[in-house]
Amino acid sequence: MKLQTLKSIIEKKKNKSEFAIITNLKTGESEIFEKDKPLSKEMEVYSNQINEFFKSKKNGVIENSEIFVETYILPIKVIIVGAVHIAQYLVDFAKSLNFEISIIDPRGYFASEQRFPDMKIINKWPDEAFKEIDTNENTALIALTHDPKIDDPALQHALKKKFYYIGALGSKKTHENRCQRLKEAGFSDEQIKSIHGPIGIKLGGRSAPEIALSIIAQLVSETYKK
Amino acid sequence: MKNSFDEKILEEAHDWVKANQKVVLATVIQTWGSSPRQVGSRMIVNEKGDFSGSVSGGCVESAVVRECIGLIKDNKPCKKIEFKVSNESAWEVGLACGGEIAVYLEQVN
Repeated sequence: MKLQTLKSIIEKKKNKSEFAIITNLKTGESEIFEKDKPLSKEMEVYSNQINEFFKSKKNGVIENSEIFVETYILPIKVIIVGAVHIAQYLVDFAKSLNFEISIIDPRGYFASEQRFPDMKIINKWPDEAFKEIDTNENTALIALTHDPKIDDPALQHALKKKFYYIGALGSKKTHENRCQRLKEAGFSDEQIKSIHGPIGIKLGGRSAPEIALSIIAQLVSETYKK
Repeated sequence: MKNSFDEKILEEAHDWVKANQKVVLATVIQTWGSSPRQVGSRMIVNEKGDFSGSVSGGCVESAVVRECIGLIKDNKPCKKIEFKVSNESAWEVGLACGGEIAVYLEQVN
């Protein structure tokens, strides 16, 4: 691989674009494929197969050829509401799992740069904060404040936008009350049931890193179910 | 749904190049049967044999490092190597899980 190609791959990843690297295994020559951009003459004949790999987000060698396709997809967006202690551990786990985290917390003393260095923190109430984040059914929400004033608007946004994973921290009792409020706000039983509450898989631990682990484990598991 | 679970290995390769090291990318390009790591998994190796990332569960990495150093010494651009199931009674490199993998080596130049 040419150093120039390596540099542009890194640049494209930084700029959050989706692309594929096409390598001729015979010559070692590689080029970058992007949707709706022309391929080199040499690769043009494989255009259909390359598009197929790209669409299905798969890596592999094109059948009966010496062409390897490696696709780069965007990381999954995970929105954490509540810049609390557990969130600090979630940020650590998410780094190696490549989730793209945004943290929302209107309380400035929680959502500080010092507590979350190099993180995208939106220091606003959820209704305002969601105007700054593009969300869809491939987004996940982790609500950690267990304060209805902060969590509820975020949960309502996530339900309306059909996030693939919605989890909310709190005891069974807290969750029951939460479900009741959502019902009164007009959400269906089915919608409310889609919320993972109390959040996380059963690990048994109660410390902040253990709870973070149980949440991230559930998130990964739900990601592969979808 | 699929996440990219990107290991930032290319970023690390770039750092190594910037530090004037010669770098070979080793990428899993094909797998047959049960293989420890999926297609696209990658490790990087420099001329001293330092490596980062992985192409298996530790089964074939030592052989990949040797091959990569060879590639740098012979100044070849690329090479494809295949690993098959190992014979557990012999001290040889192979995949104990019974799978087969093809690994593509290419120098960054």
